[in-house]
Amino acid sequence: MNVIGLRAAYRTISQFHENRRLIAWLSAQPWVIWLSPERRKSVLFYGAMIAGAVGVFSRNAKWRDYRALAPWLEHGLAFVFLLGLIYALYRAAINFKDLPPNVRRRPQICFHLLFWLLLGFLWFFPERGGLSLAVLSVIAASFPYLIWRAGYMLLSGQRGKALNSQFRDHLFYIWPIWDGTNTPPGKGHDYLSRMVAQTPESYARTLLGGFKLLLLVALWSVFLELIGALVYGDPKSSFNALFRRYTLGIPRLKQILSEQMALPLVQVWLSLYLELIWETLSLAAKGHVWVGVIRLFGFNIFRNTYKPLLAQTIVEFWNRYYYYFKELMMEFFFLPIYARYFRNSPRLRVISAVFAAAFVGNMYYHLLQHKEPLIFGEWSKLWRLLGARLIYCGMLASGIAVSMLRQQRQRSRAHVMPAGASQRLRRLRGIAGVWTFFAVINFWNVISNLTIAERARLFFSLFGL
Amino acid sequence: MTDRDRHRLELIEFLRTIQRPDYPLAAIDEESGLVESGLIDSLALLQIVTYLEQTYRVDFNERGIDPDDLRSVNSILALIARESAS
Repeated sequence: MNVIGLRAAYRTISQFHENRRLIAWLSAQPWVIWLSPERRKSVLFYGAMIAGAVGVFSRNAKWRDYRALAPWLEHGLAFVFLLGLIYALYRAAINFKDLPPNVRRRPQICFHLLFWLLLGFLWFFPERGGLSLAVLSVIAASFPYLIWRAGYMLLSGQRGKALNSQFRDHLFYIWPIWDGTNTPPGKGHDYLSRMVAQTPESYARTLLGGFKLLLLVALWSVFLELIGALVYGDPKSSFNALFRRYTLGIPRLKQILSEQMALPLVQVWLSLYLELIWETLSLAAKGHVWVGVIRLFGFNIFRNTYKPLLAQTIVEFWNRYYYYFKELMMEFFFLPIYARYFRNSPRLRVISAVFAAAFVGNMYYHLLQHKEPLIFGEWSKLWRLLGARLIYCGMLASGIAVSMLRQQRQRSRAHVMPAGASQRLRRLRGIAGVWTFFAVINFWNVISNLTIAERARLFFSLFGL
Repeated sequence: MTDRDRHRLELIEFLRTIQRPDYPLAAIDEESGLVESGLIDSLALLQIVTYLEQTYRVDFNERGIDPDDLRSVNSILALIARESAS
């Protein structure tokens, strides 16, 4: 078999989800026909009730050391309250025009204020226990997961798209059975309803797309295990016994930071780049699980991670690395600022919107992620966890703003594409630049016990300073 | 020529100035997603916002930016029609 034949064979295998005969066969299967969009929606609705209950009842499992929250009654009451709150927000979304003008103008801020009021109440009465406080704590701990998902529902109401929707059209993505982080993969009602497969044929196509992502998860997981054994010498890797003697033994970035290891500069830089590759593959594997499962339910949505390591610009990398996080920042921070401020100054307009998303929004999102110290008002702990991230987000926002402005400038110029080798060289230079930028700023993203000054000293030593 | 036809011609002309250089504009139909089809990148959406503000006085400050309104040639034309009517 020659190279062309091999390429064709690879394409046939890797693009199996677009194989017409396979799609035709799958779409004729009785279960595919039976699983109409309505039936799938019903499965998701009942699944959401179970996922919601499991989520709320396990909410304090990770922070038992904080407070003795345990009895089922607290979680049961919190679940009922949260279900009621989601329903009230749904009613607000479908009757959006009837809301008071101030709420209509800034619905997201009003919703977030509700959460901060709850937090304020918990800070004010920190030590007086009792059932009501315990219930409120569980509710507050559930908020960071729900706040962006319910935010998409309100956004749908604001845009007038929730009018004819039913409660179950929303509940399934607010308490999704595919779980995920606080970032909702698949966004909300507007996006999901546009991407739903309506016919058995399109459902079969979407199913195959889902299977493909789940297969990729298996592949990336094996690859990560191999990197773990061969590069890091990770004792937890399944291949550790096999490759123990051949490992490069390069330390993880977190280890270098926490132990302040004195290593040759080349090794530290290698560790920085490898960390970027490792994190990208890990995120791709996680995101493919969420998106793969969503596709199995007939929503033909975009991948969460799509070849970011081949991106040639910073803004392209950010778009491809964690798509649904970028979309969240875009819809809740970037677009509102872009629509409202500095409309007469295009450059300032872009810069302010980018900083609203990549700096303010990014920081705020991660502040809400640390729910335990937030609920108990542990500010020094929050600073320890997030201080370095301020620098990370500042560098990220600056990089994206410069990249966006540069791209806009290039687009407005009629430029001639270089051909052949010089185009490839330009492409490689772009990719290398993007890798270096994200590898370097990731230095500030890795959680460690170092103070900012200690971390800064290590950071400057990367450049021989 | 109707208003819609005129707006369509103007819009296509504008899209030519911001499209990816290697992509034929004629290859997409009016319902296709502009970003999804690869005609423009997501960044170019911001230029469409500015174009709509300057050419049709669309006030995004008042209505907010809904990416769905900028998804395809048809959805942009529908937005222009809604704004012109109001």
